[in-house]
Amino acid sequence: MSRAETVGIIGAGRFGTALGSVLARAHRRVILWSRDPAIVDAIQTTRRCPRLPEAPLPEPLAATADPRVLAAEARFLVMAVSSTNVRERARELGNFLDGSHIVVHAIGAFATPSSDPAARSDGAPREIGRVSEVVAQGLPTLKIGALAGPALPADLVAGEYASMVIASAFDEVVAEGRRLLNAPPQLRLYSTKDLVGVELASALSGAYTVALGLCDGLGMGVGPRAVLITRAVAESSRLGQASGAEPRTFAGLAGLGNLLVRAGGSATPGVRSVDYELGRRLAEGIVTADAQRTEGARAAIAGAELAAKLRVRMPVLSGVAAVLSGRAEPREVAALLGDTVAVEE
Amino acid sequence: MASDRPVREAENRLEHFNADRERLLAEVERRVVARRVAESKLGGDASLEYVLNDVAFSEIKRLEASRQKNGALDRWKDLSRRLMAMSEPDKEQELRDLVRYYGRDVVGNFDPRVYKFATGIGPSLLNTLFSPTTAFRQGFGVLGNLDQRIHPDGEVELAHRCAERGTVIITPTHSSNMDSPAIGFALMRAGLPPTTYGAGKNLFTNPFISFFMRNLGAYRVDRRLRFELYKDVLKEYSTVLLEHGYHSLFFPGGTRSRSNMIEKHLKLGLLGTSVTAYKNMVREGHANRRLYVVPATINYRLVLEAETLIDDYLAETGKSRFIITDDEFSRVGRIVEFFRKILAHEGSVVVRFGRPFDPFGNDITDDGESIDRAGRQVDPATFVRGASGEVTDDDQRDAEYTRALGRRLSAVYPKLTVFHSTHLVARALYDEVARRAGTRDIYRLMRVAQSAIPKADALAAIDRLRARIAANPAWGAEHPGFVNQASADKLADGVKGLSTFHTRVAVEERGDSLYASDIKLVYYYQNRTAHIPVESSS
Repeated sequence: MSRAETVGIIGAGRFGTALGSVLARAHRRVILWSRDPAIVDAIQTTRRCPRLPEAPLPEPLAATADPRVLAAEARFLVMAVSSTNVRERARELGNFLDGSHIVVHAIGAFATPSSDPAARSDGAPREIGRVSEVVAQGLPTLKIGALAGPALPADLVAGEYASMVIASAFDEVVAEGRRLLNAPPQLRLYSTKDLVGVELASALSGAYTVALGLCDGLGMGVGPRAVLITRAVAESSRLGQASGAEPRTFAGLAGLGNLLVRAGGSATPGVRSVDYELGRRLAEGIVTADAQRTEGARAAIAGAELAAKLRVRMPVLSGVAAVLSGRAEPREVAALLGDTVAVEE
Repeated sequence: MASDRPVREAENRLEHFNADRERLLAEVERRVVARRVAESKLGGDASLEYVLNDVAFSEIKRLEASRQKNGALDRWKDLSRRLMAMSEPDKEQELRDLVRYYGRDVVGNFDPRVYKFATGIGPSLLNTLFSPTTAFRQGFGVLGNLDQRIHPDGEVELAHRCAERGTVIITPTHSSNMDSPAIGFALMRAGLPPTTYGAGKNLFTNPFISFFMRNLGAYRVDRRLRFELYKDVLKEYSTVLLEHGYHSLFFPGGTRSRSNMIEKHLKLGLLGTSVTAYKNMVREGHANRRLYVVPATINYRLVLEAETLIDDYLAETGKSRFIITDDEFSRVGRIVEFFRKILAHEGSVVVRFGRPFDPFGNDITDDGESIDRAGRQVDPATFVRGASGEVTDDDQRDAEYTRALGRRLSAVYPKLTVFHSTHLVARALYDEVARRAGTRDIYRLMRVAQSAIPKADALAAIDRLRARIAANPAWGAEHPGFVNQASADKLADGVKGLSTFHTRVAVEERGDSLYASDIKLVYYYQNRTAHIPVESSS
């Protein structure tokens, strides 16, 4: 198969491996890149990745630790690394990519702030980094997008139906993503041009997952939980609109879809995310050190800062950020749900 | 610099323009017709019938509105009537005729005699070229020394190297119809080659300025023609010029900035031809020929059309006037007065050039190589290539690239801004007036009586403003010739400029106080500093 028909996946973590498995099983050629030669060896010899051993990785999938091979073999790349590593990985791979590559990230979080004071300013806000902005700083290509939605690695491996949304300002990125990643009936891709909305919605859903963990930890019941979810969609939509995004994106796969899956449900016990568990621990009065913060916790603090800057009222998000920063007690935040000024929904 | 640079393509070819003219026009015609005919197979809005009808309808509407009584209207009505019965070959021929007609209208005549005159060879041509009005002769006399008053600076050396290696596109801010001659002189003084550029057709009716436009290789843009086919011809002409190595000039702001603020929202139409031209060059196997986009700001101590422009900006009904035909620029006497004032002041116009970008908004090295945002060298040709290295056509992708370039330009303009005394004094006064009135809203300030601003307060405000500018190079810089000027002298100079040139007195000095007599003009000049945040303590 040609380079145009190949999907490169950056990062052999759980999601990258699961996506590679789905695509390979749909007879798509995949090249999976990992920095760790041991993981590459394991995939090549056992057709399994140690980080997700339950996922079969059939023959159309190859693994490499050489970024040159990745860049030469695939033009379309999915970046599936941790938000704490994205800056470094982008810079590292940028040495081997060029202006023709398409890079779509699958990171549902804000990027950690740069320690590089020389980072170029091109008019975009610098303080709180959307991942696509950080990726753009490290890569030569401008054709960048985001992939988000409630597609859990466990579901993908198990062959469950999954949907994601791909977003980019470039039609070509979206079209290529849908052409190469669609693997019906198991994985279907929706598309949008609202890159800002998808990234914000996806990152903030982590923050609201912490809030849902808090809510459940406090034993607040189904009603308040429903209110919390709907208020989360409403206030994140407002923040999105103030940031230039489309409000409806926040009720879509990247926003509401992500929130529902991360906070788990009775049908899927055991898939609740670390953000949700963090919320539960906070409710129990267990204080979490900064270093142990999850992506959702960081998103809550960063999102609250952005809301303050854009003067968007976000009582739920600000409340979660206050608990995480030690400025409020969990019970006080729970009260915020009943404390919001009754206005038009 | 690469040794295999395409010198033949990079040299200034304006002097060969007449020899090239027919070839360029034929190429424009061939491309536009071929594209339209190919697209017409899709039917609907792309059909030739629709395209021709769009032209006829637009022209009829325009001519009826202008109440011109000539045969032109009949021509378009006739086309409209015949359209339904025309065969496809007939439609294609009509399309070809129209493309040729508008192509010739755009290109106009490039008179080599005028060019020779401009380079000092034929001053005796003057009398044959212009009507010998007294005002005009006066104007021309002073204009001869105008270039002494225009100060080019910034990344001139790098722009020069880029002009040697490839084709440059100068992209200045736009605040006056004097911008064209100003940047023309600035390029000349900076040792940069002259450029071709599009200018509003209405400007060619002024023989005085038309002279310089032709010298600079201007082509005519008729902004009244809004139909797609005309825009197609215009963009293709610009594309072909760039591909043939003609250095060009675009005003990305589109029209003159009515408010005098640095442009933030750029019109990307012609700018987009840089990506198209480069893509075509790569496709033809000339990937090493480069296109460079050079940002520049044109900074006037006084703007000729300030009164009209700010009135237009603030008038609710006239805010969106796209073409102004009755401004100061249409009155030769005002132009002469403008030049006289300019000549009285050293460095009245500063043209500051920034570091060039490639057509995708990438920075470049001192050798003209593109570098990505992480500072690595990148081959710009890869931006238009597909998975197999083939050059691909994708209008939406190219539009996104142009938007990225536009963002880089609008982000760099503030840094390239040069503040004259008039700007600093206007900002300081506006701040003081606003502080006293409790609002910065110009519409409110227009309704309140102007209070006296003690000179001491204005002086202190200027001091603070100068200190803030010096500490924030991203906001721009003071005029390089007056950085060490005492603030008191700066104040006196600014007040003099703002009180004596325009027909309305902007600032009055009475005893120890200053009055913003015309708050609209003060607002206009202070707007050049609008990107500088208001002092938190004020």
